[in-house]
Amino acid sequence: MFKYRGYTGNILRVDLNRQKIDKIPLAESLAEKYLGGNGFGIRFLWDEVPPEADPLSPVNLLIFATGPLVGTLIPNSGRIEAIAKSPLTNMYGDSNAGGFFGPELKFAGYDMLVFRGRAPQPVYLYIEDELVELRDATHLWGKDTIETEEILRDELKDPDVKVACIGPAGENMVRYACIQVTPQRSLGRSGMGAVMGSKNLKAVAVRGTKGIAIAEPDKFHDLALEFHRRLRANDVYPAVSKYGTPGIVSIMNMIGRFPTKNFQYGAYEWADDINAESLHKKHFVKHLACYACPVACDKLFKIKEGEYRGLACRSVEYETLNGFGANILNRDLASILKANDMADRLGLDVISASRAISFAMELWEKGILSHGEVEGMDLSWGNMETVFKLLNMIAYRQGFGDLLAEGVKRAAEKIGRGAEYYAMHVKGQEIAAQDGRAQQSMGLAHVTSNRGADHLKGFPTIDETGYPAEAERRYGKEYLPDMADPRSIKHKGFLVKDGEDFAAVVDSAGNCKSGGTFVLAEIYWEDMARAIRYATGLEIEVQGLKKIGERIYNLQRCYNVLCGISRKDDTLPRRFLEEPNPSAAAKGLVCRLEPMLEEYYYLRNWDPRTGYPTIKKLEELDLKDAVDRIGREKLIYSREDMKPDRSE
Amino acid sequence: MYLDVNPELCTGCSLCEAFCSFRREKAIWPTKSCISVLKYEREALYIPFTCQQCEKAICAEVCPVQAIKRNAHTRAWEIDANKCMGCKMCVASCPLGGVAFDPHRGRAFKCDLCGGDPECVKVCAPGALKLVKGPEVVLAKRRRVTQNMLHLLQNWGVETHV
Ligand code: SF4
Ligand code: SF4
Repeated sequence: MFKYRGYTGNILRVDLNRQKIDKIPLAESLAEKYLGGNGFGIRFLWDEVPPEADPLSPVNLLIFATGPLVGTLIPNSGRIEAIAKSPLTNMYGDSNAGGFFGPELKFAGYDMLVFRGRAPQPVYLYIEDELVELRDATHLWGKDTIETEEILRDELKDPDVKVACIGPAGENMVRYACIQVTPQRSLGRSGMGAVMGSKNLKAVAVRGTKGIAIAEPDKFHDLALEFHRRLRANDVYPAVSKYGTPGIVSIMNMIGRFPTKNFQYGAYEWADDINAESLHKKHFVKHLACYACPVACDKLFKIKEGEYRGLACRSVEYETLNGFGANILNRDLASILKANDMADRLGLDVISASRAISFAMELWEKGILSHGEVEGMDLSWGNMETVFKLLNMIAYRQGFGDLLAEGVKRAAEKIGRGAEYYAMHVKGQEIAAQDGRAQQSMGLAHVTSNRGADHLKGFPTIDETGYPAEAERRYGKEYLPDMADPRSIKHKGFLVKDGEDFAAVVDSAGNCKSGGTFVLAEIYWEDMARAIRYATGLEIEVQGLKKIGERIYNLQRCYNVLCGISRKDDTLPRRFLEEPNPSAAAKGLVCRLEPMLEEYYYLRNWDPRTGYPTIKKLEELDLKDAVDRIGREKLIYSREDMKPDRSE
Repeated sequence: MYLDVNPELCTGCSLCEAFCSFRREKAIWPTKSCISVLKYEREALYIPFTCQQCEKAICAEVCPVQAIKRNAHTRAWEIDANKCMGCKMCVASCPLGGVAFDPHRGRAFKCDLCGGDPECVKVCAPGALKLVKGPEVVLAKRRRVTQNMLHLLQNWGVETHV
């Protein structure tokens, strides 16, 4: 039996080239140093995937990793993490989803799945406890994600089987294809679906009947119950629970942080038409939850009348309402739901897909794209017929869709003629519906995220709309009022760094960032340390946990360094730095990135000239192998003496 | 007492299963839960299912060693694990699937309402599970059903003024 509880102690390694499956033990040291989830992921990537590897080649790994809290009693512990070298950014990539796939994998007795190679023909992996088989998936190839899941449930004659699968977008290796997991949750970002497609792996279906043992059952039970009570008593619980992420549409619009027209504006004139209240009034059917989640932020929506009558869909997020709404100047809710449903079925990341389309629309508006280049399509803002058409063309890589399937960075390079200015990405990943001009910390979070533009790595929520009470509870009075002011840059380097380290732990343990740790900010370092200690028996205190978070984050960065990333890539599109946000409370603001970045590098003990971690930092984190691999000559010892001027 | 279940409110989170199994196994073990959330994903329909604590309990009647007895305080049917010989008569005869079988211990197991303070009720955030005493819940249920009918009528264009 594995030394620590909470884990199953087993990893499945699947060699798709040779169709060979090995069950190998999880190393104790891996649990002690990397906890789980993206911690496990980066260690495997670091050890086995050469940084120069083509992410779509058989050399890349596709990893599904759970963590010690996944599938337990802790609120929203249903997360699964997918890790691979990203075909979108060509560096470290991961994504995270809720639902039931992660817990089921553990009930089947596995902490992790590691795929390498490429199957000669389409296959799926079937797991039922000890029974693990690669099976033919030719009949599933070409099917959309919802069909695939339904067919698998039917043919396996098991309504409780949990599925992770790709749609046509993954099959065609669209660089931002996602993996969908039961029930319709998305491993959205970084193009994990394309990696799965490149391996000819259509799906993983898993069913488990085992239990997850806990080191200190009584303490763990009481702590879990306490977390549930605290979450349900939290001030924002009623709103988050009722509306989910769409609830923030109106607030973001008010502070000028609701990207409109490909980030030309920070507020949308018709935001009320596409906000949570309208969505509920028109389409709400019922609340849906991920495993062990009292928040139930997902909803079932139905279109009750009009052209798309009868369409039912889930996972309509803030990002969806922005991406297929304000982002492309569309105020018709039903068509947003339709586009969301299409993206889910095709297996496209909603954020990247909608940004690719808004990018094309802006190029069209500016006259950069000619009629012929877009095959005579009308790309004017808000034209949903074109949007639907483009989604299909992207997923099947047809014509102009093939170009957009490459992501905005590559597409802009191909188009030239100044297109790059309108490609809203960082390190190749499209920017989510978060404007760094209206919330300065968000701008910083985008550039320091290890998977390219992203809001969920640092996830600064404290200053989103100002949570002074929470800022004080977490960080202390001395950080106020600036910490909670979205327009101030003071202490934001600190906020983002702490967020990144904590998020690395949350993603590795297996918790959700919407329910409990960041949005309903109830569970913080101390709580997390207790939960992990009671669950696993690992002797872990806050300091140790912080070190794990830092270690994971630094190793991801080191991998990126090997992939060629440095200081020069830690930047935002010029629009954020030069074009003042014209909207609402953010009027006149640009993102003042540099001073925040200085503070950030300082706190990370990274070299501010190269953006590389210093030797001292890496040694402190037991990452000597990283020092050797990057090369001592490229690294400096320490940068602690270079304290930046942090006054505003 | 028995558990009143309202599938309309169930979000499918499975917390009831997790906590139920934890109480008896000290492990999270859904296949050893006394309550199961039956999922119909296509329809997004989730139905929590458990023992009904029948008045005339067939499980208790068929048990050849009389291992299933009513708790005088909670009125729940409880299985005396020491007496149970694992013949599975109760499992076979319960028309509702209320009794399950634990192959590891070779014993039958079922919901015993946690001695009057059920774990599942504590953690069910939307309130889909309620511990109720007796028939008073029927009226509320009838109201719920008529509410649905009213909606139907309204959809058909019938004026109801409700
Ligand atoms: S705890 Fe409540 S909402 Fe969750 S699955 Fe059980 S009955 Fe449904
Ligand atoms: S187990 Fe079945 S027969 Fe026995 S009391 Fe429960 S529902 Fe009735």
